[in-house]
Amino acid sequence: MLGSDHSIVRSVLAGDKEAYGVLVRAHSATVFRVAFRIAGDEADAEEIVQETFLRGYQRLESYEGRSSFGTWIYRIAVNCALNRISQPGIEAEYRHGEESDPEERTVQVAAQGADPERVLLSGEISAAQDVAMRRLTPTEKSAFVLRHLEDRSTNEIAVVLNIAPNAAKQAVFRAVQKLRRELAPLRGNA
Amino acid sequence: MKHLDEDELVELYYGEGNSAADAHVKACRECSAQYARFKKSLDAIDSASVPGRSADYGDRVWETLRPQLIPYQKKTAGWRSWRHWRVAAMLVGCAMVLGIVFVSGRYWERITTKKTTLANNPQAGQRVVLVVLTDHLDRTERLLVQLEHANSMDKTDDAQMQSEARELLASNRLYRVTASNAGDPELAGALDRLEGVLAEIANDPNLNARDIERVRNDMNTKGMLFEIRVLRARSSDQKSRAGIAKGATI
Repeated sequence: MLGSDHSIVRSVLAGDKEAYGVLVRAHSATVFRVAFRIAGDEADAEEIVQETFLRGYQRLESYEGRSSFGTWIYRIAVNCALNRISQPGIEAEYRHGEESDPEERTVQVAAQGADPERVLLSGEISAAQDVAMRRLTPTEKSAFVLRHLEDRSTNEIAVVLNIAPNAAKQAVFRAVQKLRRELAPLRGNA
Repeated sequence: MKHLDEDELVELYYGEGNSAADAHVKACRECSAQYARFKKSLDAIDSASVPGRSADYGDRVWETLRPQLIPYQKKTAGWRSWRHWRVAAMLVGCAMVLGIVFVSGRYWERITTKKTTLANNPQAGQRVVLVVLTDHLDRTERLLVQLEHANSMDKTDDAQMQSEARELLASNRLYRVTASNAGDPELAGALDRLEGVLAEIANDPNLNARDIERVRNDMNTKGMLFEIRVLRARSSDQKSRAGIAKGATI
C-alpha cells in the first residue's frame, strides 16, 4: 500500500486530481474515527474529515514519503481536530465544568440520571464518560484518545501532537487522573 | 520497593512500565489489588461509541471535496517558477557574498602582512636602517680618511671636505634618530659621536689646518674611523645574510 500510495501522490502532483480520490476513499473512515474521538461530535468530525483532506491536498508537495500516506494524513487529522476543540468558543464549552468544584460536578453528573438505577445503564455511563472527556484540556484529550483508544505509543503521540515525549506522557497521566476522579462516583454507584 | 504510584500504574497499564514495577505488582498484594481496580476503571472507558460510517462514506467525502481542489499542474507552474527564481536569487546572493568575503580577505591579508612584518619583526626595521646607511657610512668613512690625511696647504680640498661634511651632517641626524627608534643603541651612539665631528667641520667658517688638527685630536677621529668601519662591515654582513641587494631603498 505504501508504494501505491506514493505513486498515487506522484500522479496527483503531476496534475491528476482524480487520483486523490483514491486516497480519500481509502483513509476517510480512519480519519473520521480519530476526528470523532477527539472532537466528540459527529458533525464536527465530518467537518474535520473535509478539512483534513483539503489541507492534505494543499500540502501534498511537502509529503516526503518517509512514512505512509495514512500516517501522514492521520497526523493532519489529529491536528485539525485539536485546532477545532482548541477554538475559544468550543474550549469554553469543554472547560465549562472545571469552573465548578468537584462536589458540584459530581452532583451534575448524578443529576443527569435523577434515578440512581438509571446510572447503571450503559447509556448513562457513556454520557458521563463523554462529560468527563469534555473536561479535559485539548492536549490531554488528544493524548488520551491516541493512547487509550487509538493504541498509539508515547513517542507516536509526541510526534503527532508535536510535543516532547515526556510532555505527551504527562498529558496522558493527567488525563487518566482526571477521568478516574470524574468517573469515581459512577464506579461507586455501579 | 515502595508501592507503585498512579503514574507507574498508568505506564504499566499501557505496557510501558519497567520490569521492576511489573514484578512488584505480582509480588505485592496491596499493589496488585490497586492495579486491578485501576485496570477496571480504565477498561470501562471504551471506544464503542464511534458512530459507524456507511461503505460509500469515502465516495461522499470525495464528492464534497473534489470541486474545491485545483489540479496541481496548473497550480504548481507559477509556484515552481517562483521557487526556481527564488533559488537562483539565493545562489547569486551567496556567490556575491563569497566574492566580497574573498576580495576583502585578500585585501586584509595584504594590509596585515605588511603591518605584522614590520611590527612583529624588530630585525626588519634595523635591517632597513642598515641598508640605507650603507652609502652614508661609505661616504663618512671616506671623509674621515680624508680628514686623517688632510693637507693643510690645499684649501680646495678643505672646502670640498667641508661641503661633504654639511651634506653628511643633515643625513646623519636623520639616520641617528632612525637608528635610535629602530632600537640600535650601538649605531645610534656611533652616529651621535660622528655628528659632533661633522658639525665641527661643517660649521667652521674658516676651516684651516689647525682646526682640522684640533678635531683630529679632540674627537679621536682615528677611533671613530675604526668604529665606522666595524659598523659598515656589520651592515654589509647583515645585508648579505638578509639577501638584500646593495642600493635598496626604504
